Amino acid sequence: MIKSLWEVFNKEDLLECYQCARCTGSCPAAQVMNSYGPRETLLRCLNLGQEAVVTDERIWYCTTCHVCEDRCPQEINIPELLTAIFNLAAQRGNLPEKIKFTLDLVAKTGRSLIINDKVLKDRQKLSLPPMAALNLDEIEGILKKTGLGEIIDLS
Amino acid sequence: MKYAFFLGCVIPIKYPGFEKATREIMKALGVELMDLPFSCCPAPTNLKLVHYDTWLALAARNLCLAEEAGLSILAMCNGCINTLKEANLILKTDGRRRQQVNQALEGSGHTFKGEIEVKHLLDVLYQEIGLEKIAEMVKYPLQEIRMGCHYGCHLYRPPRIMYPEDLSEAASYVPVSMDHILAILGAKPIEYSRKFLCCGSALGTNIDPQAANEITREKLQHMKKRNIEAVAVACPSCFSQFDRGQMMLERKHHDGFHLPTLYISQLLGLAFGLDQKNLGLEDHRISLGPFLEMIPDSRRQGPA
Amino acid sequence: MTPKKVQRKDKVEPRIGVYVCHCGLNIGGVVDCAQVAEFAAGLPNVVVSKDNLYTCSEPGQELIKADIKEQGLNRVVVASCTPRLHEPTFRAACQKAGLNPYLFEMANIREHCSWVHLHDKEAATAKAKDLVKMAVARSRLLAAQEPMEVPVIRRALVIGGGVAGIQAALDLADSGYQVYLVEKDPSIGGRMAQIDKTFPTMDCSICILAPKMSEAGRHPNIELITLSEIELVEGYIGNFTVTVRKKARYVTDSCTACGDCTKVCPQVAPDEFNAGLSMRRAVYMTFAQAVPSTYQIDMDLCLNKHGIVACDKCFQACQRRCIDYSQKDQRITLEVGTIIVATGVDVYDPTPLTEFGYRKFPNVITSLEFERLINAGGPSGGSLIRPSDRRIPKTVAFLQCIGSRSKRSNIYCSNICCMNTIKDALLIKEHWPETKILVFYIDIRAFGKGFEDLFQRARREGVSFIRGVPGEIIEDPESHDLTLLGENTLLSQLYRYEVDMAILSVGIEPRKDSPLIQRLLNLSCGSDGFFLEAHPKLRPVDTPTGGIFLAGCAEGPKDIKDSVTQAGAAASRANILMSQGKVTVEAITVWVDETLCQGCGMCLKVCPYSAIRQDPETQIAQVTQASCAGCGTCVAECPFSAITQRHFTDQQIYAQIEAITEEAPETKAVAFCCNWCSYAGADFAGVSRFQYPPPVRIIRTMCSGRVSTGFIEYAFRRGAAAVLVSGCHIGDCHYINANHQTEKRVKKVWKKMERLGLDPNRLQLAWISAAEGNLLARKMQEMDGIIEAVTAEEIQKTRELLVPTKKAKGKLEEEDPS
Repeated sequence: MIKSLWEVFNKEDLLECYQCARCTGSCPAAQVMNSYGPRETLLRCLNLGQEAVVTDERIWYCTTCHVCEDRCPQEINIPELLTAIFNLAAQRGNLPEKIKFTLDLVAKTGRSLIINDKVLKDRQKLSLPPMAALNLDEIEGILKKTGLGEIIDLS
Repeated sequence: MKYAFFLGCVIPIKYPGFEKATREIMKALGVELMDLPFSCCPAPTNLKLVHYDTWLALAARNLCLAEEAGLSILAMCNGCINTLKEANLILKTDGRRRQQVNQALEGSGHTFKGEIEVKHLLDVLYQEIGLEKIAEMVKYPLQEIRMGCHYGCHLYRPPRIMYPEDLSEAASYVPVSMDHILAILGAKPIEYSRKFLCCGSALGTNIDPQAANEITREKLQHMKKRNIEAVAVACPSCFSQFDRGQMMLERKHHDGFHLPTLYISQLLGLAFGLDQKNLGLEDHRISLGPFLEMIPDSRRQGPA
Repeated sequence: MTPKKVQRKDKVEPRIGVYVCHCGLNIGGVVDCAQVAEFAAGLPNVVVSKDNLYTCSEPGQELIKADIKEQGLNRVVVASCTPRLHEPTFRAACQKAGLNPYLFEMANIREHCSWVHLHDKEAATAKAKDLVKMAVARSRLLAAQEPMEVPVIRRALVIGGGVAGIQAALDLADSGYQVYLVEKDPSIGGRMAQIDKTFPTMDCSICILAPKMSEAGRHPNIELITLSEIELVEGYIGNFTVTVRKKARYVTDSCTACGDCTKVCPQVAPDEFNAGLSMRRAVYMTFAQAVPSTYQIDMDLCLNKHGIVACDKCFQACQRRCIDYSQKDQRITLEVGTIIVATGVDVYDPTPLTEFGYRKFPNVITSLEFERLINAGGPSGGSLIRPSDRRIPKTVAFLQCIGSRSKRSNIYCSNICCMNTIKDALLIKEHWPETKILVFYIDIRAFGKGFEDLFQRARREGVSFIRGVPGEIIEDPESHDLTLLGENTLLSQLYRYEVDMAILSVGIEPRKDSPLIQRLLNLSCGSDGFFLEAHPKLRPVDTPTGGIFLAGCAEGPKDIKDSVTQAGAAASRANILMSQGKVTVEAITVWVDETLCQGCGMCLKVCPYSAIRQDPETQIAQVTQASCAGCGTCVAECPFSAITQRHFTDQQIYAQIEAITEEAPETKAVAFCCNWCSYAGADFAGVSRFQYPPPVRIIRTMCSGRVSTGFIEYAFRRGAAAVLVSGCHIGDCHYINANHQTEKRVKKVWKKMERLGLDPNRLQLAWISAAEGNLLARKMQEMDGIIEAVTAEEIQKTRELLVPTKKAKGKLEEEDPS
């Protein structure tokens, strides 16, 4: 359980931002969604505090493309900051439905998509080997140890 | 040459044709692939964002399986490569993290040692196999078809993790492998504006597919401006955006781009003259008909 | 030159006065100065010990002078700031009171103590006491010295013929000195000749520069040496010998610049003066107002480059028969007393910032290319035309901070780009008032005289300022029109602007060949690559090397006004040196005791200045005083202790080590820092207030090459937990290459420690430059960790096993109680 953003991200790095906006200017999500863009998210963290940021669902509007990191003149690791924000947000229950669904699937089956009959048939038609059976106990054990139970129900 | 074959989730489940195509071209190129009980990588677009520690531990488990087999990993998907390469690098260099993860792996009998490398299919083709060998296998060159490469983001960003050896001082890194491969296959790779813009896939999977498609739409518009005839991708999620996404865009905007998209293994398979029923050509929503007609091929079997 | 014999003061008891300075709250707020003064009073030979508020002030200095006279002081110790700042001040005060200035010592309890241990007052005070003890110990052994006078040649060399170099040359020439102005390009003029108009006055740049260029060209005291490069610089302050390579022009002095030759030349290359926007021929003149006004042949481009005359079109066309393909490069030697470095800057090349499409999209240009386009003498005759279709653009965008303020390129601000863009925007509005101009900025820096006015004028004329640099530029493949994608931060709104042309306001950076000049002249560079001044506030045009000065952008990005100002300052500094015809050299040179010298010749092998010769008959070492720079490397090398360095004797250094290790040596480390780099780096760490743990005590030597294996081993034998030897980076040594010896000696001690089963990690070697305060702070942190980890057994073992290997001089054995 992380309590503060600054446990997992160095606040001093953020202070170097001089709000040039090259990040948001390059952000594909900002162009199509009513999102803040990385520049404003960063500024909100600094000026309004982490609470205001991690409880806002709009922070999730990100394609994880990393172009912001590429273009930042101060070499601030924005994706790392956003990952920290997302992790903290998830702990607070600020988590998009679709992600939660995939998470449950991975926890239960070890895969992020459902293998139904059609899939099995298609694979057979192509003479592909069957998908490997996973040691789900092993995976469950790992998930319990890393603490995924903080976010989703692992039972 | 032998690799641990990392299937991921999307290709074997949603686009098994790509898996088949990859197996076939690797066979033709003399590369052995070994199957291991890998789980979801896990994706950098969901689990990593939610619970970093779990993401790292599950990635480590996958890496350990390959280590135990003594093989480096070949991955077919940008998401998988991003997770596995980054996790590999972190665990190799950060002793504290490595200790943490190995503790989580304790009951499972795996210990991360940092003995293998992780490579994307594109890199195995471009660096390990080499353009010369690929050129030798080309039977049906792709007739100078104007193709736009979409590398996707997770393949090479951030470059200091994904391609540290290729960094020069203060330069912006851009990949070139797919363009060169396409050229060797006889196609004509064309530059277009915003070539390195994201396809938007993760936004669609996590939040809003319509918005994600708008991102893809911008790319399609730029490609069309340069009279590109087909799109080449190296990731099934990017493929989904350009293929199913394009179909959804047509329904919404009614401006048909008619730009078929092909996964890299399919293109090699076509150029090598492999049996087309093994190349997953049925999985496409945007018709491949006109594209295939451009390649004279007497061994065409399977649907046109 | 025979050295003045050192006055032996053994017979007279030292009477030391100690002054502990509060420096306001700078020291007094952390160190208990009264306590330190009290402690000092208890040291042997200290007869006066006071603390005061500002020792460097008038009253402070008067106090010292009074005490010297009334208390009969024959040594003075001031514990205050860094000697690199005020040693000259206090030395002068002592001299006025009749005390030889070399009997003065300083303890650095500010930059090395109060400023870096702000939160540990107790430890800072304890450290200050130690530093004072060290200074007192050294002062007992100081001897009066008479500095040497060295004649100064009253001729100057100016390297670089831009506006700064021209101005400096003119100032010196007008003062009556002969000046050599060496310029690498075929003509003088530099960047200012390429600019169209200057800010804030909107003067025509070449119009105001050309008269200066002509003046420099015909001034009786200035010898213009263009198309030439510096190959070698030898000598020392007041006496430099400079080898210059004059490249062949292949055109004789009879050239009248008629231009017939260039019309017939078949070869073309991009014209550097026009930033590559047009072509020139192999035989060419750089620009119309070139000084000297002559053509030259670029032999690398000419068809005759392999020595055979394959094409003689220009020769045939020249009516005055000025072309001579047989000319060769010449080497000339100049003897000068002072050198001014005015080598200027290059413009940042934004190609690596691929998101802006420079070199991919024809209508994305740099600000320098813009200057050439809008200049009447440029490739388009002054028309602002789009490279793609030569249309006048309807909308123009300027992007600020390209290549500046960025870890991806240069981290500093380039000073001139904001005003340059404002000026450029006004120029466009002047000629094409209908053109829409957008300036995308992060901050607008309009700090100088008339700058804010110009900024306001631009806004009033309708230039739009949008805060938020574009993330990307996209180009339409057919029209080559550009789209700028970005965020307007003040509105928190994304934008998509369609423009005809984008001008990248690129930064300026040190010239690519400045490392060459750096090595030739032994200069230091800051972390930004510009040449480092001796002190950022008080000595802005001096370099640490005496006799060499800086002017213009070579020292840092600045506009024309500041370049000219600095040029005047540099000329003035050079004038000070040359006006007397002589300069006093600090009495820190070395001398040989001929009775002890065995003629082994090891000293001359390590002297970076070749200042030591061996007498051909007796083999005894002889030092040329005027060439000796006082690094002391020979002293540390001599196995017979036959060479002594004035004012930095072995005994003085051993006394300082002793003072450090007298109490609780196992909790401390002894650090040897060189005056020019590491000690200055420690000062910089203090100025920057980098905080670090207190257990390290710094001993200053002029060069890390002064540090002998004997010093290191003595420190360990006395129980010091660790030793740090620190100097300039390899390749950057202020004394050319003396630090190579440092490295060798430390390696020797490491080997010995390993052999004896001692922990070699206790001896650290670090190369830290004057600009690397943060590195030094980190090293101090590291040393603290090492000290903590050393065990009592290790120290005991060291005391027993690390016995001196070399036959020590008589005096040493007396000093060393163990």
